[in-house]
Parts: sequence; C-alpha cells; structure tokens
Amino acid sequence: MMKLATIPNLVGGHLGGWRHKDAFDKPVMNLEGFIEMSQIAERGKFDCVFLADGNGVRDMHMPALFAANHPSARPAFFEPTTLLSAVAMVTKNIGVVATATSTFDEPYMVARRFASMDHISKGRAGWNLVTASNAGDALNFGRSEQPREDRYARAQEFYEVVAKLWDSWAPDAFPQNKETGQYLDPSRVRHIDHKGTHFTVKGPLNIAQTPQGRPVVFMAGQSEPGMELAARYADGLFGAGTTKQDCIDAYANIKGRMARYGRSPDELKILPGVSVYVGRTGAEAEELYEELQSLISPALGVHYLSKMLVRDLDGLPLDGPLPDDLPEETLGGSSLRRYILDMARRDGLSIRQTYERTLPALGGPVFKGTPTQVADEMEDWWRSKACDGFTLLQPVQPRGLRDFVDLVVPELQRRGIFRKEYETTTLRGHLGLPEAPSVWNTKAAERGVA
Amino acid sequence: MMVLGVNGGALGGHLGGWRHPDSFPTTAMQLQRMIEIAKLAESGLIDLMFLADGNGVRQMDKPTLFAANSPSDRPAVFEPVTLFAALSQHTRNIGFVATATTSYEEPFMIARKFASLDHLSGGRAAWNLVTTQYVEDAKNFGRDEHMGREERYERARESLDVVRSLWDSWASDAFVQDKATGQYLDPARVRLTNHRGKHFKVKGPLNVARTPQGQPVVFMAGQSDDGKDLAAYGGEGLFGTASNKEEAQREYADIKGRMPKYGRRPEALCIMPGLSVYVGRTASEADELYEELQSLISPALGLSYLSKIVGFDVTGEKLDAPMPQQRKESVGGTAIGRSVLDMAARDRLTVRGTYERVLPSMAGNMAKGTPSQVADFMEDWYRSKACDGFILSMPVQPRSLRAFVELVVPELQRRGLRPANYRGKSLRENMGLALPADPFPARISPANPEAAS
Repeated sequence: MMKLATIPNLVGGHLGGWRHKDAFDKPVMNLEGFIEMSQIAERGKFDCVFLADGNGVRDMHMPALFAANHPSARPAFFEPTTLLSAVAMVTKNIGVVATATSTFDEPYMVARRFASMDHISKGRAGWNLVTASNAGDALNFGRSEQPREDRYARAQEFYEVVAKLWDSWAPDAFPQNKETGQYLDPSRVRHIDHKGTHFTVKGPLNIAQTPQGRPVVFMAGQSEPGMELAARYADGLFGAGTTKQDCIDAYANIKGRMARYGRSPDELKILPGVSVYVGRTGAEAEELYEELQSLISPALGVHYLSKMLVRDLDGLPLDGPLPDDLPEETLGGSSLRRYILDMARRDGLSIRQTYERTLPALGGPVFKGTPTQVADEMEDWWRSKACDGFTLLQPVQPRGLRDFVDLVVPELQRRGIFRKEYETTTLRGHLGLPEAPSVWNTKAAERGVA
Repeated sequence: MMVLGVNGGALGGHLGGWRHPDSFPTTAMQLQRMIEIAKLAESGLIDLMFLADGNGVRQMDKPTLFAANSPSDRPAVFEPVTLFAALSQHTRNIGFVATATTSYEEPFMIARKFASLDHLSGGRAAWNLVTTQYVEDAKNFGRDEHMGREERYERARESLDVVRSLWDSWASDAFVQDKATGQYLDPARVRLTNHRGKHFKVKGPLNVARTPQGQPVVFMAGQSDDGKDLAAYGGEGLFGTASNKEEAQREYADIKGRMPKYGRRPEALCIMPGLSVYVGRTASEADELYEELQSLISPALGLSYLSKIVGFDVTGEKLDAPMPQQRKESVGGTAIGRSVLDMAARDRLTVRGTYERVLPSMAGNMAKGTPSQVADFMEDWYRSKACDGFILSMPVQPRSLRAFVELVVPELQRRGLRPANYRGKSLRENMGLALPADPFPARISPANPEAAS
C-alpha cells in the first residue's frame, strides 16, 4: 500500500497561497485550523501529519519577503510537540510527526518529549530528526554554524542515545500492585551509561516504555551523510528528489545501503515531497495554479529565489540567466537548493523562469490536473520504485487538502493502492514497520518467557 | 481572593496513597487519569494545576523506596508541557503550571514551549522556573558534578531575563495577515533580543507570536536566600515551603519586602505554600483516612523515605532514638530537608516520630478535619498574611480532590474567600495578576489617533 503524509501548514505551500480567497483568513497561531487540517487528513486515512520546524525567525534581512511570509519561514508557529499533543486529543488514528533538532537540543529532552507524545497519542508519535540547516538558528543558542559533517556525527550519536533512553524500561516494569505495595520492579529498568564523543548520558529515561516501543523516526536530508544515517536508522524519509528519475535513483541508493546495517529495505519508507494542484477538471487545476502565480510580483519572486539559493539576486536582469558564480555547496543550504540549481542549468532557465518554476512547490515536483491524472502520476512513481508514498504539500489550505481527500483519495482507493480504513492504531502499524527492537525482548527470550 | 492550585499528578501526595482502595487502580502514564483530575479541579474552580518535574530517575540506589514509588520521585511521568498541551483540549479555565529547569534547558526552548502552551490553552500557561539540584539529573546532561548554588541562581536569573525578552519579541498586532495587500507581518513590529550575557548568547526574535497572556505567568519555588531574591525580582507565583504559620508569615513579609527594590508591587507575586488536605464529612472520617494511609507504610519504608527527605541515610537508626541532626550541606540539600530537621529538633521527635510526621504531607503543612476546620486553617493563614493562597496536595487521588471540591470549596465560597465562578479566562485573571505591557508603542493610525500624541 502507498503511504501518505501531509504537511498541515495553514499558509499552504505556495508563496501566494495564504492570500487566496479559499485560504484560512488568519493562519497565525490558529489551533482550530490545525485541528481542522488534521481531521481532514484523518478522514482521508493519511498515515500521518508532519510538521517541519526550526528555532528561529528567518528572512529578517529581506524585509519584502519577510513581510510576505515564505511558506517555510514560519515566523510564528507552535512548538510542534505541544501542538501535536493537543491535536492527538481530537484525532484517533492519524500519526503525528514533529521535528526536533539534534544540533541544539539535548538527547534526554528529545527522548522525553517524544516518549510523552507517544503515550499521549497512544502510539502515534514520530520524530523527524533534523540537524538544523538554517544558519541563523545557531545564533539563538550562542553558537556559530557547524559544518555538515560535525552536525551529522552529532546527529548519529544523538539518535543512538535517544533510542537507548526509549528502551530504559521493560514493558512490564510497573506492576502497580496495591496489595504488595510494589509500584515498580527495580530489575526491569536499566541505566544506559552512554559515554560518547558528543554526549554523556547515564539514564534511565523517566518515562515508561511507550506504546510503540520506540516512536517512529523520520529524517529528511539528502546529503551523503544524511542518506547514510537514514539507511542506518530511519523508519521514514521525507523528500528524496524533484523528478521521478531523481527519486528512483535516491530510492535505490538509500535502500541499497540498508543491508550493511542488517536492515531490510521495507524497514524504511521513503516519502518524497510533492505539491498537488487538483481540480474536478484540468481547467480548474490550471486556474488555481495561475491565480496563485499571478499573486507574486517579480520583485517578490526574486527575493524568494534569493532565499532558496542563499544568494541575493536583486538587481540582476529578470530574463537573464542565474549568475554562474553560485557556489556548489553552502553552509545552511538545503537539498532543495541543489535541485533548483540543477533544474535551472539543465533547462537553461532565466531568473524569472526559475522562480516561476520554484514557486508552486518550493522547488519540488508538482502533480497537477484531474483526480485521475494526479492518481496516475502517484501510481506511476510508486510502481516505478521512486517512492513508498508521498509527503503532500497543498498550495492553498484547507482547500488543497480537502480537495485531495475528496477527489484523489477515493481514486487511489478504487485502484486498491491506498487503504480504505485504518487497519491499526499506531503509526508504526500504519507504515507497516516491524516492532521496535528492545533489549528487554532479548532478555525475555533468554529467560524462556518469550 | 485566595488563589488555589492543585499539586501533582494522579499518584496522590502520601507515600501510601496509591495503595488505598479509593485511589486510581493504575497511574503510570495514564492520560485518562490526568484528564479526570483536571476536570475535577475545574469543577471546583481551582485556579491552576501544578506539576513538579525533573529530568532523571531517582532513588535507584534505594531499591525498597524506589519500588514503592515516593510521590516526588516520578520515575515515569509525562513531560509536563506536552501533557498540559493535551489537557488544554479537555478544559476551559484551569491554568497549567509546568516545571522547566534553567540548569539544562536553553532559554530559547523554554520561551518557545511555554509561549506555545499559552496559545494552545488560550492564556492559561505558566512556567515554574527551577534550578536543578539533583546530581542524578546532572548525569543525564553530561555533567558529573552539579553546578553550585550561586552559579545556578545566576544562570537562572539570566535565563529568566532572556526568556522574558524573547516573549516580548513581537507586538501583539505584528501579524497583519492582509490578503488584499499581501502583507503577512509588519517588520517594524518585531525586535531582536540581542542578548549577550555570561551564560547565554541569544539573538532572537522568538518564532512564536505574542501570547494571549502577553507573557506566560512565572512561578518559582525554593526558599534559599537566592531563591527568595529571585522570586522578589521576577516571580509571579511562589510555591512556598514554609512548614508553619509563623515561618510562612516571616517569609511572606521578607519576600514581599524585597520587591520594591526591584520596582515591583507586593501584589505582583502570589505566595502559595503547599498544603496537604485530609478532609472528611466528620473529623473521624478524616482521621480514619489519615490512619489508613499511615498504616500502609512499614518502618523500613518509612526510614528509607525519611533518608531521602533529609538527604542522609537514617536506615540504620533505632526507631525510638532521637532523630539525628547530622546535616549535609551539599549542593543537593533541599529546603524541605532542612525544615524537617528543624521540626524534629524543635519538637524533640524520635526517628519514627519524624517519619510519621513527614509521610502525610512530605514535611509540609497539613489541614485535617471537617470542611469547616480545613477552611478555618486556610482562612487563618490567608488573613494573617502568611500566604495569598495554597498549592494543595491530595493524599489519595481522585478521592481527596473530589472531597475538597465537594466539601471545602463551598465553605470557602460561603466565606467569600473563593469566587462563585472563574474570574476570567486567563490564568493571570484568575490569579489577580496584571497583564504585562506590550513592549511596542501603540501603532499610529487613523483608527488610533491618541497614539500620535
């Protein structure tokens, strides 16, 4: 079965999305909006909602873009584990995946928040481990930007500590026996005694083993160390390319690395980000697309592209090419930057054409057209082993998600490639992931209990 | 108006509380129990729920006590901010006081999660600022030794300043969200924090809009001289640990007396000592509950518990010998430990006598008896300027909270000490605290001509 995640950002994925008449009127700090989006996604039987995140306000040095609000800037946003804990109270089945950074947070704190969220949601929590690619965020933590290799080395150890903390307690550690007075069994908890390069953590975690044993771990980066880390440890991966061929290559590449870590390719679900412009007719989809493109002035378009490429393009001729002195790698640049550069060079695009192609989907792929056309593309990618499913971004919310659920989901269900009902109650279950390994299982087996 | 909070989770405040037949059958990671407690407290117009917290599992070196689970050890609890985020969706008025430590958390993360909770709850969030004093917690953050008291408090004060400055990042009208003009936010209505201090460097701004309360309420606890000074400097709620009325009066006068030097008025801080309540329809019903709970604790467990509270080992002591006064002035010494030793000396208690006094209220204050006796106790403290209210500890949950709501709250209302309805929607309104001023000057616009003058 195809797996589906969605990003329930209220401003939508298009720079002009929040201005559309069908968009939320007041997206800032709008809890009801997030609840509505999560409930629509749950009606559509999505595997999970996913919240990207950062720890800083971006684009302040570009006042025009700052004022217009880039969809991934998030100047005013709920802290995601608190928001999703609230959302878990008004949903029953859908997974809730929040982002937390291994660069500025502490493993004990991250292990705690996500374990807590897993208990609160009764087994629906996921952690999107990021290394924080936005340079400015470091300045909120008294640090300067770190090179990628350091960030990934820290991320790997961070994950290992968190995974051990989550396995502090055996599932049966809390007998809570009123008769004998035994609340917990001291033999069913362990110190983790981690001593590494970046962290020294004694443990145990002060939360009982969670309903999923281990919350589901997502990652996102497509850099070389990012792919390696995902192959080793991730249960899910957001984003893997902007074209079908990119995704096919990345899929084979990442899954091909898993065997060396003793993992089967099924143990990692790859869900590239895709923006969907769907209409009852092809014309309706085109109309939405054009409406949104027309909301963006050339000046704003250039600012937007400047942000995506981490390079000020102001003042350059709109119909001329991108400057050829753009560095291949930037500190703080994302994988999307790479894709946009490649696309512009491959197709010989002008600055205007580049931002026009980048706007609708933050540089990612676009599936546009009738429900059948969108479902065709999704099925094609899925059957071509470009992905295990998708992380869907909609340009205008809540219209985009509602249209997808009402128009495309039934088509996918009719084709038998997407679930009609939830079969399980946990995110791990929805994604078809194996039970999380636990030292306590091994010990039980040794004792002949399991 | 007397301010009331309820302390703790589903476990109950007496070491034997969870074993009582009227307690919840299970409590570990039971969200439903917490929802029930929040709703029950709200039905009694309780102003706030208070959750102490730590970042470690304690007492693993004392297996007997560890297995029995002392109420303040919390080996398996929700992370409090995520828990309150969930509870906010089941309640409308009650405030949420969650603990976070300045010793191991970054000010940006603290500012963010409490601002987020304030938005999610519609203005009901509070941060209980603590400095961590448990060595076991330090070891979860790569430190073998805990930092000394002076450094902890210096860091705490700087963290508080940074957090408040981050909460003041945005004007309340910064997010225009005008679809017609395309202006989402006004870049003139946000400011950088640009803090460069001894412990933190934080540029800001915070990536959360100004919250419904302007700033979440700030609570503190701890009665050291540094702690009192920090509370006078920046606390809006104080979980007091005075263990008798005279001490509470002295502390009340002392702390409120320090506020003017920080330019603050005494009513800007609510001092709320802990109070364990054993109430029954009759005095004998209250006594019976008390005795039932005491009888659940064996001497071995009692000694182990007392060792934890005073911070040194008394498990080898003779039960009927005088309580030893060995003091260990370590960085982990707590105000509670000191007050227990003072009590034992003052009242010439034996070891057994000491743990029996400590068990029912964790060495804090206790009000036991009929509804009017309990109300008398509370009214006396309140009118004697020993406090502005109480943080209530309930020995057996949910029985004790239900009894308080059904029996004591109406009595307090009759006496005019408690309101007939919630005073407002926000925690600030219910605690009688002022809304912090918006740090940005009013916008000059045709709709607001006064701002120009």
